[in-house]
Amino acid sequence: MSATTAPVIIAPPRPGLLRRLTRDPAAAAALAFVVLVILAAIFAPLLAPTDPFDNDLSSAMKPPGSEGLPLGADAQGRDLITRLLYGMRMSLLMGFAAVILGGGIGAILGFLAAFYQRWLDAPIMRLVDIMLSFPAILFGLAIAAILGPGILAVVLALSVATVPLMARIVRGSALVVMRQDYIEAARATGMSDLRLIWRHLAPNCLSAIFVFATLRFGQVILLGSALSFLGLGAQPPIPELGAMASEGRTFLFFAPHIAVIPSVAIFLVVLAFNLLGDALRDALDPRLRV
Amino acid sequence: MTPLLEVRDLAKHYPVKSGIVVARQVGTVRAVDGVSFAVNRGETLALVGESGCGKSTTARLALRLIEPSAGSIHFDGRDVTRIGGAALRALRRRAQIVFQDPYASLNPRLNVGDAIAEPMAVHGIGNAASRRARVEELLGLVGLAPFHAARFPHEFSGGQRQRIGIARALSMQPELIVCDEPVSALDVSIQAQVVNLLKDLQRRFGLAYLFIAHDLAVVKHVADRVAVMYLGRILEVASKRALFAAPRHPYTRALLAAIPHPDPQRRGRVTPLGGDVPSPMAIPPGCRFHTRCPAAQAICREQDPALRPLADGHQVACHLAETLPEAISDTGAGFAPAAARRLALFAKARAAV
Repeated sequence: MSATTAPVIIAPPRPGLLRRLTRDPAAAAALAFVVLVILAAIFAPLLAPTDPFDNDLSSAMKPPGSEGLPLGADAQGRDLITRLLYGMRMSLLMGFAAVILGGGIGAILGFLAAFYQRWLDAPIMRLVDIMLSFPAILFGLAIAAILGPGILAVVLALSVATVPLMARIVRGSALVVMRQDYIEAARATGMSDLRLIWRHLAPNCLSAIFVFATLRFGQVILLGSALSFLGLGAQPPIPELGAMASEGRTFLFFAPHIAVIPSVAIFLVVLAFNLLGDALRDALDPRLRV
Repeated sequence: MTPLLEVRDLAKHYPVKSGIVVARQVGTVRAVDGVSFAVNRGETLALVGESGCGKSTTARLALRLIEPSAGSIHFDGRDVTRIGGAALRALRRRAQIVFQDPYASLNPRLNVGDAIAEPMAVHGIGNAASRRARVEELLGLVGLAPFHAARFPHEFSGGQRQRIGIARALSMQPELIVCDEPVSALDVSIQAQVVNLLKDLQRRFGLAYLFIAHDLAVVKHVADRVAVMYLGRILEVASKRALFAAPRHPYTRALLAAIPHPDPQRRGRVTPLGGDVPSPMAIPPGCRFHTRCPAAQAICREQDPALRPLADGHQVACHLAETLPEAISDTGAGFAPAAARRLALFAKARAAV
C-alpha cells in the first residue's frame, strides 16, 4: 500500500520566478522596460545631460532632433530628456507611495473585514462606501486646502482614493479564501489570528492584490498628473510627467512634442506596469507552475 | 474508564434572517439538534447519515471549530465547551481533523514540508532541524518520500494530498482525529489505500477516530461502533457487528437496504424510502423520522423518542424498537445457486493469484 517502494525518483528542478516571469516575450519586454525606467529615475541626476531647471530661452520649443537636444526643448528651453528623467522620477515616486500607502491600508481593512466578518465587516464596508462616494479630485482639493498644494497633498489624496478600492477587492478575494478548508485546518492547529491571516489568508489573496495594484498604479499616475494640472500637485518648475504634459498643452499646435513626449512616457510606463502585473500574477500562482 | 471525547445534547442552531434594513429572524436551521455520543481511546466511532443531516457540523462542534448553541463537550474528562486561550490551544494539540476535499484542505501557497511542520511551529515543538526530520518521518509514515516536502500541493494527486492532510494531522501526535469524510472525494481504489493507512496508523499510535461518512461499505471496514444520524439527531448507536446484523431503527434498516448489492434476486424485495428529508428549518414534531417511516404509529407523531439503551451498548431512538419485526438480514445470502457457484470460483481464482 505504500508508495515508498517505488524506484528512486529524482526531483526535477523547477524554474525560478524570473524564468517563469519572462517566459512570455511581452512580459519580458515589460519587465525590461520597467527596470530601465526605474533605474533611469533613480539615477536621473547622473544620467541627465543638464539641470532640470536650466532654461535657455534661445532654444525654447526646439523640435526633437535639434543639435544637442535629441528630444527637443520645452517652452522655457529646458532639455526634454532631463525633464523626462526627473519627471518620471517624480511620477513613479508618487505612484509607488500612493499605491503602497493606500493599498496597504486598504488591504489591511479588507483582511479585517473578511476575517472578523461578524463584527467588522459591516462597519468597515460602510466606511468604504462613504469613501467611495467622494471623487479623488475632491480629496485632492480638501487635502491641498489643509496642507497646501504639493507632492505630499497629491500622494495623500491618491492614497485616500485607493484605500476603499483596495479594501473592496481584498475583502472579496479574502471571503472566497476564508471558505476554504485549509483556513479551518489552520484554525484547528490553534494558531493565532495574526499568523492565520499572514500565512494562510494573505498569500492566497496576493494575485488579486498584485493585479489591482498594478492597474491602480497606472490610474494613480494619471490622477496625479490631473491633480498637478489643476495646480494642486507638483508646482512649476518641478518636473512631473502630468504637469509637463499640461504645460505643453498650450503649444500643441506649434510644438506638439512638448505635450506628446511626456504623454507617451506616461502611456508606456502604465502599459509596462500592466503587462508586468499580469505576468507577475501568473508567475506567483503556484498552480500555474510548470 | 472515561471516554476520550464525550458530547452531550450538543446543538447548533443557525438563525435565518430576512429583511434589508432591519433583519428579523424568520426561522431557525436546527443543523444539530441534541446529539450525544462518546468516543473511547483507540476506537473508531463512525457517524453516518444522508447529506445535510449535520454530520460535519457535529464534527466541527466536537473540535470547537464552531461554537455550540447548547450542550457540552468533554475531552479526556475535562469540560472543554467554553474554554479559550491556552486551554483551547492545548486541546488543538490533542485533537485534529482530516478534511473531505483534499483539493481545498491544503494551502496552495505552502509547500508540503511547511504545511506539515506548521502545527509544530505554532506550538513551539522542536527547532527547525528537528521539525524537518519529523516531516520526513511523517511523510514516510503516510507513504510519501522525503523530497516531497519541497513540493507544492498542486503537484500531487487527490490520494497523495489526502496523505499529506493525514501527515499534517499526525504531526502533533494527537489522540483524536476527526475524519470528515476522508475518502468520499477519492477514487474507489485510492479509498482502500487511504482507509488502510488510517487503520494502520490507528494501530500504531492508538488513535481514536470520529469517522464521518456516508459510504456504509467504508464504515463497515473501519468502524468499531456506528452512530446513525438523521436531521441533526442520532437515531441509533451500536457496535458495527450489531448494527449491520440487527439494525433496530427503521431508518438504519432503510439505509442498509439502500447499499447497492450485486444480487439480482434481491430486486423488488427492498422498498426504498419515499419522500425527501424534511427541512432542518421545519423538523417534524414527534419522531423526526415519522414522515418517512414505514412503521410509523400514532405515538410517533406525538412523542419525540429519546435515545435509549437496549442490550449491550445498543442504543436506539424509536418507540417501536422492541416490537418491530426482525430485519431481513440478507447481506451476502440470497444468490441464485449458479451465481453463487461462479462467485465462489472467482473468489478461489483470485485467492490463488
